Amino acid sequence: MTPTRPGPRGRALLLVLPALVPVVAVVGAALVSAALLSLGLAPLVGEPGLSLDAYRAAAGDLGTGIGLSLGIAAASTGIAVVVGLCLALAATAAVRRSRLLGALAALTIPIPHLVGAAAIGLLLADAGFLARLLGVDPASWPPLVGGQLWVAVVAEYAWKESAFVALVVAGVLATRAASYGETAALLGAGRWARLRYVTLPLAAPALLSAAAVSFVYTLGSYEVAALLGRAYPEPLPVLAYRLFTSIDLAARPQAAAVALTTTALALLVVLAALRALRRLAAER
Amino acid sequence: MHGRGVAPALTGFSLEVPAGSCVAILGPSGSGKSTVLRLTAGLDAPTAGSVHLDGADLAGVLPERRGMAMVFQRPLLFPHLSVRDNVAFADRVRGVPRRAARRRAEEYLGLVQLDGFGDRPARALSGGQEQRVALARALAAEPRVLLLDEPFSALDVRLREEMHELLADLRARLEPTILLVTHDHAEADALADSAAVLDGGRLLQAGPLRDLYARPASLAVSRLLGGRTEVAGTVVAGVHHSPLGALALPRAFPDGAAVLVLRHEAVQVTPPADPAADAVGTVVRVRRRGLRGLVTVEITADGGSATVDAELGPGQDVGTGRTVGLRLPAEDRWVVPVDDASDGPSAGGPRA
Repeated sequence: MTPTRPGPRGRALLLVLPALVPVVAVVGAALVSAALLSLGLAPLVGEPGLSLDAYRAAAGDLGTGIGLSLGIAAASTGIAVVVGLCLALAATAAVRRSRLLGALAALTIPIPHLVGAAAIGLLLADAGFLARLLGVDPASWPPLVGGQLWVAVVAEYAWKESAFVALVVAGVLATRAASYGETAALLGAGRWARLRYVTLPLAAPALLSAAAVSFVYTLGSYEVAALLGRAYPEPLPVLAYRLFTSIDLAARPQAAAVALTTTALALLVVLAALRALRRLAAER
Repeated sequence: MHGRGVAPALTGFSLEVPAGSCVAILGPSGSGKSTVLRLTAGLDAPTAGSVHLDGADLAGVLPERRGMAMVFQRPLLFPHLSVRDNVAFADRVRGVPRRAARRRAEEYLGLVQLDGFGDRPARALSGGQEQRVALARALAAEPRVLLLDEPFSALDVRLREEMHELLADLRARLEPTILLVTHDHAEADALADSAAVLDGGRLLQAGPLRDLYARPASLAVSRLLGGRTEVAGTVVAGVHHSPLGALALPRAFPDGAAVLVLRHEAVQVTPPADPAADAVGTVVRVRRRGLRGLVTVEITADGGSATVDAELGPGQDVGTGRTVGLRLPAEDRWVVPVDDASDGPSAGGPRA
């Protein structure tokens, strides 16, 4: 008997297996146990039974949480995309290239979000550095930290993520923008025409991917919103964490329900981004 | 175009490109020939000197306002646009409506024999097709000067010849003014009316290619144009004395040491007994080039030895070691000054 050899597809699968197994094991196991918990199939006490009670109990908070989380992620990603693109353009421009801006953006990346959040808090709080620098009385300083508009939270995410967007986009532009830009200029395209017809389309796929990553990260991250946000309403991760650490063990399934909802939202965003990327690629 | 302590890429370079003509800038890599194009296009600014177009100084004029289009060695088609929209690019940024721009693009695609390729993505083309689209895109911009920076050097021989024919055809139809940079004298010969030979940032000689081939100003020019035979000797009263003997020159040259250069195409190989032979020597090397062969003949005399390269006629065949006669037509003899700067041959020798 001759041993059957795996075909090219089988071999490819074998090669990715070492990476696939931990991902499936860790993420899969966590998701499955959260799903079981949220659906009442793995209760801490009592008989298991399929029910949507946890979702129903958390529905009110879940609704405001979804809106709030999406709002924060959209605002900070929007700002980060605009600022990051400008940084990348400045760092890779053929003329008047700003190495300083590029270096500053790169320096931002290794700072942990927790440290960034603390720094933003010290900067923007009503008795913070900025208020003192401008000589504004704490009473008349707008509530940036813990205020209704979540300004400090959005500012922190936007600041960190803009550096990430800049890094990714600059990486793409650095290798191709100069030669395509020269070609376009010699075909009569001025600065704005080059930006609109050449640079932006070249940067678009990288920009879209970076925006999707940044959005999903912001949607699921806990510490910045917990530090700089207000006590109520809560964004999804803060809500999930509070429910999970509650002394009321019955709240655990609700925490799992919130976590699963967050995961589903993130998944939807990623799928939408992939679809948009594919459409972008098909247009070319 | 140079910084402090860096040798300038160009010095004392001046070149005129008549409207409707094709001028080639010929030089080895690093000779500064691409710098000429970048300065002309406005992609780099000169530290001194100027570029004039129709009598107007272009100093400070942005590249997009110079009315020039460039085709680079790489096609650099915009990857996010279709072939048609690549060609329509210049019209689109000029504000021509999309439909009109695309219609004109189709015409230019037809000119480069790529009808029906408009819908393809730019990356779904072969190398030769890509370069044709790049050419159509540049022509569609209706530039006042078309700049070609070694546009065909990445293509294989057959494609390159096709592109040469295409460009000759386009020249006949559209009469663009072309400034072409190349390191290949055969390409310059095939495409250009005249050439400027550049080496080390200096203009060595400029003129029609026939003149450059027949009457190079220096050894460097002769070598860049593919000259193979260099025989050192002395000119006395219009006669060059060397191991080849005393050879009368077609015109007066100043007396003194001088190197005789002969195009291998002009030298005829004859039987040794040929009474019209100017020299007799031994074949030391034979190189095949299709039906024609290229032989290196060594001639030994009292004063030393010299080698002469000659192209055989079609079907003519001689083996290594054979004794042959060489006819060196008087009108094809030319001498250049001994070049101190380079490793000039002491006793004459061909360069591979």
